[in-house]
Amino acid sequence: MNSERKAAYALVAPAVFIVAVFVLSPIVQAFINSLYRDTPFSPKTFIGLDNYRTLFSDSVATGTIEFTLIFVIVSTALEILIGLGLALVIHEHFKGRGLVRAAVLIPWAIPTVVAGVMWKYMLNDQYGFVNLVFYGSNVANYVAWLASEWSARMAIIGADVWKTSSFAALLILAGLQSIPEDLYEAARIDGANAVKRFFRITLPLLKPAILLALLFRMMDAFRVFALVYVMTQGAPGGSTNVLQYYGYQKMFPEQQFGYGSAVSVLVFVMIAIVATILIRTVRTRIYES
Amino acid sequence: MRRIVLIAGMLIVGMALFGCGGSDTESGVTSVNLVVWKPNIPAAWDSALAMFHEAHPDIKIVREIGPHSSSQFHDLVAQKLRNQDPSVDAFLMDVIWTPEFAAAGWAMPLDERFPPSEQDKFFDGCIQADVWDGKIYGVPLNIDAGILYYRKDLLDQYGFEPPTTWAAMIDQIDSIQAGENDPNLNGFSGQFRQYEGLICDMLEIVQSNGGRLTEPESPETMEAIAFVRNELIGDAAPEGVLTYSEQESLDLFTSGGAVFHRNWPYAWSVSKESPIAGQVGIARLPSFKDDMSTSTLGGWRFGISRYSKNPDAAWTVVEFFTSPQMQRHFAVNAGRAPARKTLYQDSAVLAANPHFEEMYPVFETATPRPRTPVYPEVSNILQRFLHSALSQDDADLEALAAKAATEMETALGRVQ
Repeated sequence: MNSERKAAYALVAPAVFIVAVFVLSPIVQAFINSLYRDTPFSPKTFIGLDNYRTLFSDSVATGTIEFTLIFVIVSTALEILIGLGLALVIHEHFKGRGLVRAAVLIPWAIPTVVAGVMWKYMLNDQYGFVNLVFYGSNVANYVAWLASEWSARMAIIGADVWKTSSFAALLILAGLQSIPEDLYEAARIDGANAVKRFFRITLPLLKPAILLALLFRMMDAFRVFALVYVMTQGAPGGSTNVLQYYGYQKMFPEQQFGYGSAVSVLVFVMIAIVATILIRTVRTRIYES
Repeated sequence: MRRIVLIAGMLIVGMALFGCGGSDTESGVTSVNLVVWKPNIPAAWDSALAMFHEAHPDIKIVREIGPHSSSQFHDLVAQKLRNQDPSVDAFLMDVIWTPEFAAAGWAMPLDERFPPSEQDKFFDGCIQADVWDGKIYGVPLNIDAGILYYRKDLLDQYGFEPPTTWAAMIDQIDSIQAGENDPNLNGFSGQFRQYEGLICDMLEIVQSNGGRLTEPESPETMEAIAFVRNELIGDAAPEGVLTYSEQESLDLFTSGGAVFHRNWPYAWSVSKESPIAGQVGIARLPSFKDDMSTSTLGGWRFGISRYSKNPDAAWTVVEFFTSPQMQRHFAVNAGRAPARKTLYQDSAVLAANPHFEEMYPVFETATPRPRTPVYPEVSNILQRFLHSALSQDDADLEALAAKAATEMETALGRVQ
């Protein structure tokens, strides 16, 4: 090993050490734990993949996986679309743009738990703002939004979209700013209208930024916990339960450490798959352009 | 390379320092770590601690305040005990935790310190709740039981006595609502959110029909659940009760939005300082059949950790906080119903809580929730089952009940 190589190893060593201790070892430990039945009431026993078998056969668990996937797909799709719209607006030059840019970021800056509590109040069936908007003073028609399956699911997704669309907008805005202005000018001279310019120039050149936003949002969406914990705790009847909350229920209130670890590992694997696919796509896109 | 070793070494030392923040004992003073929830009325606890330190200068209580919610507090205490944390000496336990904490080996048996002659001074239900496998693991601090609150002014106006059956309650609601014609006036409010309170409320209704939560498929249980789903929720009670815990349901009642209300004894003192003060009456909960009125047993007790290094000092703390003097203190200053029976003849307690006298027979017959070390799991299964049954109009009750029964069987089978 020459001295330069040695120095390089020495320089990355602290980072490798920290990643190994704080990232890798918990993941490995969680996987090992997931192979055991581990409760306070019986000796810890090795049960192989039994926890995973339960996870894919138990209807409560599969229902949870189903809603987690619905949540991830619907919320990220909406966030990217709304984020793109927001980014296009705040990219334009107009009076008070600074103010609008700041306003767009407010939901993202609010802590998730606070946002969850706020939405819970707004959706309350007695004094909720949402009911006031829809029904005014007609109290008899007020709806308990979090009490029935589909409106509760929509509420959770809606709160997440409200809160994180601006993050997607921020990433997409960065992409917009990297598109050279002369491309638009040339297109204008060639007679391309706004719609054509958007689909021929903006969108293709934004693809890396959009994919990046998609990557960040999807990874985050798989880890949704706080909104569910604050707004519904999985209610009604478990229809808004998500994997992270389900894992928490198993791990802490129910003290089933092995099974809870299996749930965590499943979330990790799902995120890893999505991330790998998206990162590969982002890379090829960037090389192409 | 030496530098890396140095950095690694520093990290390890740093982590070790973080990990063991040992308890410091001053000369001659033993410290006792007491884990309690965030109290409703903090002043009552502060003065109680001051009284303790005055009486026992050789012991210093280090209080760790956990979350107010019972289930979140459970997670904190269970986590500490599971890790055999020596910094926990004594802790508060909810009435449903004893089997779990005993079977897991977290709580210390107290039979030698808390003999039957002393146990006899407490409500039998509280003592039974603290026994697991023939040993006692907790000393009761207070007792709770569900009761029916009603709007005395409205019932008087329409010439009704407090209802003894659920059917009578529905009839009274129908007449009062027809007469008042007020869209803001609901018939009933209670706790039907998907959480522990749902178990308490539903146990009362199911068992007042002769059913059992642990037998979801029995006809009596099904009938009672069908009643709540078809005649209470979305009808006599707003659909929103499916999202209410104690606070929200009490808010609806104290703001004049409901004729009847189910809650714990503490709601009495809250209602006294609300817009409906002076118009509130209390009664036993209704039932389906005569003499079947059921109230769920609640309340808190102190336990001592098996990993405590100072069990004797911890016992001194527990003994002090559960003494007649302190239960009187918490009854007078925090409205907590004492677990000791004689205090229900105490003039100071009754002066502050005149309703306790009427509630004594309710406390005496309060019904415990299912007793098992895997109670948190059983509770989650029942919460899911009951909340699905109550919130989904097209739910197949029988299929849901059969599923809940199987899930409970699996959970119970996990304990040896």
